[in-house]
Amino acid sequence: MPEIKLVNVGKSYGTINVCHDINLKIADREFVTLLGSSGCGKTTTLNMIGGLDEVTTGDILMDGRRVNDLEPIDRDVAMVFQNYALYPHMTVAQNIGFNLKLKGINAADIAARVSMVAASLDLSHLLERYPKQLSGGQQQRVAIGRAIVRQPKVFLFDEPFSNLDAALRNRMRGEVRELHNRLGVTSIFVTHDQEEALSISDRVALMNRGRIEQVGTPEEIYARPATRYVVSFIGSPQIELMQGTVEAADGGPSVRLGSVLVGLPEGKGRFRVGQKVEIGIRPEHVRLGKTGIPSTVRLVQSVGPSTQIILGWEGGTLIATVPGFVRLDPGSTVRVEIPPEHVLAFDQETGLRL
Amino acid sequence: MKKAYGLLKQTGVVLSLVVFVLVAAAPIAWLLLSSVLQQQALISTPPDLSLSSFTLENYTAVFGSAAQLGRGIFNSLVISIATTALAILLGAPAAYALARLDIRHADTILLMVLAAQMFPAIVIAIPLFITASKLGLIDTKINLILIYLSFNLPVVIWVLRGFFTGLPTGLERAARMDGATIYQTFRLVILPISLPPLFAAAIFAFIEAWNEFFFALIMTRQAAQTVPLVISAFAGQYQTVFGQMMAAAAISVAPIIILTIILRNSILRGFADGMLKG
Repeated sequence: MPEIKLVNVGKSYGTINVCHDINLKIADREFVTLLGSSGCGKTTTLNMIGGLDEVTTGDILMDGRRVNDLEPIDRDVAMVFQNYALYPHMTVAQNIGFNLKLKGINAADIAARVSMVAASLDLSHLLERYPKQLSGGQQQRVAIGRAIVRQPKVFLFDEPFSNLDAALRNRMRGEVRELHNRLGVTSIFVTHDQEEALSISDRVALMNRGRIEQVGTPEEIYARPATRYVVSFIGSPQIELMQGTVEAADGGPSVRLGSVLVGLPEGKGRFRVGQKVEIGIRPEHVRLGKTGIPSTVRLVQSVGPSTQIILGWEGGTLIATVPGFVRLDPGSTVRVEIPPEHVLAFDQETGLRL
Repeated sequence: MKKAYGLLKQTGVVLSLVVFVLVAAAPIAWLLLSSVLQQQALISTPPDLSLSSFTLENYTAVFGSAAQLGRGIFNSLVISIATTALAILLGAPAAYALARLDIRHADTILLMVLAAQMFPAIVIAIPLFITASKLGLIDTKINLILIYLSFNLPVVIWVLRGFFTGLPTGLERAARMDGATIYQTFRLVILPISLPPLFAAAIFAFIEAWNEFFFALIMTRQAAQTVPLVISAFAGQYQTVFGQMMAAAAISVAPIIILTIILRNSILRGFADGMLKG
């Protein structure tokens, strides 16, 4: 079973660099997601791993073997495409069995393997249908069936759920993760949906402008974002960043935002007095209380299990999420406490977290 | 306002379609009509359309010279089918390669393919005749097949290349993932979903070959004579038997109409299926 390693991988079309300096190690049986907004190079990276796009610089290794010049079939990878890419003139059974047929496997064996895969994906009753006679979710299953029937070592998923509605997307997410666990394969998943990435993956690689911003477990990515880009990309609602200057460095560090002083997390040598920083705090860490910084309620939005309160204060905008339903009149004043240990602070120049 | 505009637009569309159908069908209608009129009734002005002037004589006369017309139809069928088959067999892979493979100077090649089409027939007629005659190909079907192929192949390549270029690459990538070679991808994935444009190109090639007159006239004597020549033979030096000529023409048009009807259904079904969706 393979370990996949990307070493300084880059891709350019002419003078346009799509990806650069991609270094990523994916362990055997790991589920890794490449996350990023459109045009960040995540799909190109996936295609390079799969062998559909050529690598311009760097190497891709599978179990230590350089696979840059191997065709997809020789890398033992299978891919599920965004728009399914099912063969319209073939039945479900023919779609799933096509790669076995190309391998020269005899018809009886193909039929047996196809029916086994179909049964596991709840497609048995649809084998003689054509793709256009299937719903989006069923087409997606056929695409997955086509990938697993080969028993590849690596699964590549290119935004496989982006054409499905929300409910189905949620269910397919669970199914794919279960499939991964059951088959014991290595999976690489591409998506622009952070919730999808965080919920399905062992590790997430967040990409931005053709580079990897941060690789880590969903928890690391969420709670300890490496850069300003990561913190603003991950998290819903999006975090609001506020600019300020470090007032005190060691022993109770703090940052000044206008006339307000906000505590920063402890850490020797972490901050410099006078340093320009940007700070943000996750909405669930903002506490409403009797003491703290006075701020004005701008908007209250209930989303069932929790309520989002958008607050205006001297430092800028702050979003607080509190459990349950909360009634507050817009325009009223509340006090917020910001626990220093939860403040995420970034250097204004480098964008790196301090 | 908007509704009135929609109505106006629809009327416009229907009107232009009616005009188009009239223009397209009029010659055929006139052909059929004149094939069942007596010569005298046909050439009088206006044509005498009274019931007594209708006759099937022309058809019986044409069938009387069945040997000639039969041979002409047979030759035309062989030549047209062979031309069409070769044009598709050679043209489709060429078009696909020019559309998808990383071929150097593909644009130049395409331009040259088209440029070969631009010579007026009269310019190349004499050199072609001399070449054919030296090769002993005068009055052979093979000669006409080769000549017609040279006209049809560029058109087939251009039409199909346009189609292949416009196909989304998803299916080809999926096929590559499935382990298909470029030939397998073309044969097992691309060709089956390309039937509508293939049929369209085939009909075009067939009609071109079926109707061609000029090269058939100079390259054949008798053995390889095609339908248009047989029909023209009814125009004699002293007298043109219009009725018989039209009857022969009507018979010769039939295969094309039948072919078009058969293939038209496949073309329409192909598009209606949304075969290219996704």
